[in-house]
Amino acid sequence: MSDTHILKIESLEAKVAAENLDILNGVNLEIGKGEVHAIMGPNGSGKSTLAKILAGHPGYEHTAGEVLFKGQNLLELDPDERSRAGIFLAFQYPVEIPGVSIANFLRTALQAHLTEEEELDIFEFSDMLTERMSMLEMDISFAERHVNDGFSGGEKKRNEILQMAVLKPTLAVMDETDSGLDIDALKIVSNGVNKLTEEDPEMSILLITHYQRLLNYITPDFVHVMVDGRLVRSGGPEIALELEKDGYKNWKNSELVSLSNEPDIPKTA
Amino acid sequence: MTDSLFSKGVTEALNFSAVEHLCIGEPDWLRERREHAWALYEQTPMPTTKLEEWRYTDLRKKLQLDTLSLSQATVVPDNPTAWPKPLRKAMKEDRQASGHIVVIDGHVVHSDLEAELIAKGVILSSLHDAIEQHPNLVGNCLATEAVPPEEGKFAALNAALWSDGVFLYVPAEVQLNTPIRVTRWLSEAGVAQFGRVLILAENASRISYVDEILSDDFSEQTFASNAVEIIAKERAQVQYVSVQRLGRGAFYQSVQRTLAHGDATLDTLNVALGASVSRVDLNARLLGEGANSDMLGLYFGDEDQHFDFNTSQDHVSPHTASDLLYKGALDASSRAVFRGIIRVKPTAQRTNAYQTNRNLLLSGNARADSLPNLEIEADDVKCSHGATVGELDPDAKFYLMSRGLSRIQAERLVVLGFLGEVLSKLPLGGVVEKVTRVIEEKLSQH
Repeated sequence: MSDTHILKIESLEAKVAAENLDILNGVNLEIGKGEVHAIMGPNGSGKSTLAKILAGHPGYEHTAGEVLFKGQNLLELDPDERSRAGIFLAFQYPVEIPGVSIANFLRTALQAHLTEEEELDIFEFSDMLTERMSMLEMDISFAERHVNDGFSGGEKKRNEILQMAVLKPTLAVMDETDSGLDIDALKIVSNGVNKLTEEDPEMSILLITHYQRLLNYITPDFVHVMVDGRLVRSGGPEIALELEKDGYKNWKNSELVSLSNEPDIPKTA
Repeated sequence: MTDSLFSKGVTEALNFSAVEHLCIGEPDWLRERREHAWALYEQTPMPTTKLEEWRYTDLRKKLQLDTLSLSQATVVPDNPTAWPKPLRKAMKEDRQASGHIVVIDGHVVHSDLEAELIAKGVILSSLHDAIEQHPNLVGNCLATEAVPPEEGKFAALNAALWSDGVFLYVPAEVQLNTPIRVTRWLSEAGVAQFGRVLILAENASRISYVDEILSDDFSEQTFASNAVEIIAKERAQVQYVSVQRLGRGAFYQSVQRTLAHGDATLDTLNVALGASVSRVDLNARLLGEGANSDMLGLYFGDEDQHFDFNTSQDHVSPHTASDLLYKGALDASSRAVFRGIIRVKPTAQRTNAYQTNRNLLLSGNARADSLPNLEIEADDVKCSHGATVGELDPDAKFYLMSRGLSRIQAERLVVLGFLGEVLSKLPLGGVVEKVTRVIEEKLSQH
């Protein structure tokens, strides 16, 4: 697996840009091609900061360590370059862009992913968008609505999945995609993600979640527990079930553990 | 020019003999109106920043009245090959139209109207032709009911010195399916141009009217004055769109008044993209029960452009409604002023009146002043006003960039989306595309 890793995070430390507040204190993680990883952790543990650092959010600053994406130093790229390199962040709180239709937004985004010589054919784009939406069981009229403007929580998250379906990333980082969703919306969203991974088994996913329930619908290959800015335990899906039963309290201030039968999972220091 | 002369506004070019010169060959009633207007102009002091309505536009600094001459332009032939390229280009984009008027340097050089509409009694012509051919129709309304010279210094100046303009008359029940398109071109630098528009829509008629004024940049300050009078009789539906794309060096000044009678709908859209200084005074009067006016405005400033909008919504009768939305983006050291007032008379119960002004600053040197106001004398009304001045949302920028858009593409999309809300409310064919394209051109210099 490690030969084919697409993301390699080494001893990553990061803080909020405007403050002197360390949030990530040495994160190590490798994600291989086609793998689904989940990072679970209590509020404030640094899960979402990791997602934002990976996407290049200007509000966060990395202070040590490195991140390689397909062998490339990810942290020196601008957010748009990261997207074009194949990283997709599904936002916890998708931003409203009034007056910009989803179709227009996606067309512009897809065009940005092409080289300067390549021109996106608007008819092909339209056919592709229709196909993507029907795969995700979305009404085509959705594409005419303005990006997240007045959307319900569920609609915002579905819009994230639609963008993911159109942009077809190598690695999708899903930041608390389950937050604020009722069970029906959760099913729809995870169903969409599963369809995309079935379609492209090489796509890697990093799920960031507080709750175990998302993992009932999207089965991870690996689960990591983050506490105080470190991954304190890594293992299989069974970890999520333990957390469901015992909560995070056992992990706080506990000694760092990793499962010995998973030698490729980096040990946290 | 001494202070007192500036205050009077009398110059070597702008004076009583210029008025007299214009009156040659005109009917007596028009001469009387021009002379009356000139007398008022001289008596009215030049507005200063001490007046609330002119607080942010200092005419002493912005307007060099004494350097202006009157237009010497001769009439260009009614032949498109003789017209300037940018004018022809602007017209080419006017896809569907029921009729056209072309004005070059103050002269109406072309007018056409569908034969079927002529047969129904629709009149589209130059003001001069209309005065000759329909003296009563024009005489009743011109500079009387809607924009009389008493309105203010510039209204008086225009009423005295207008050289030509557009007259549109739509008889009762006649409905036009496509807009009337007016395109004006200015080429003379250093002149003062005075144009007028008079639109009269009879009961249950329906029209839309798109007026575009444009020019190249001017080497000297050039003054373009415009007076717009629109009267919508009962149940008439009128849409008026003005697109201002003058070059730098232009001082654009427009006084507009709309009169909406019972159950009439009278909507306006003012788009300001060009000129160095642009001042628009718009007064919407909801005269008849059930009258309705949507008032839309859009502006995009760059370099040191200065936009000043002064609007009022006058509710006189019950069950009237007005809804104003002005949005603008300001780059570089450009500046916008919005001052709006909703007035609801005691006779205007059950009125809905709304007023919103939103500004997006794209540069730390840009500035927007927004001054919404209410004057409510009736108790059973729904009114609201709101104003915002904000910067580009960094979260929105990051969101779009995280999908692969460059910083510039992200900003462009946010700005176009922000301004697009206005255009989407009055989507007349061609206008949305044209305005969007001009904004994109301006954004590409951002």
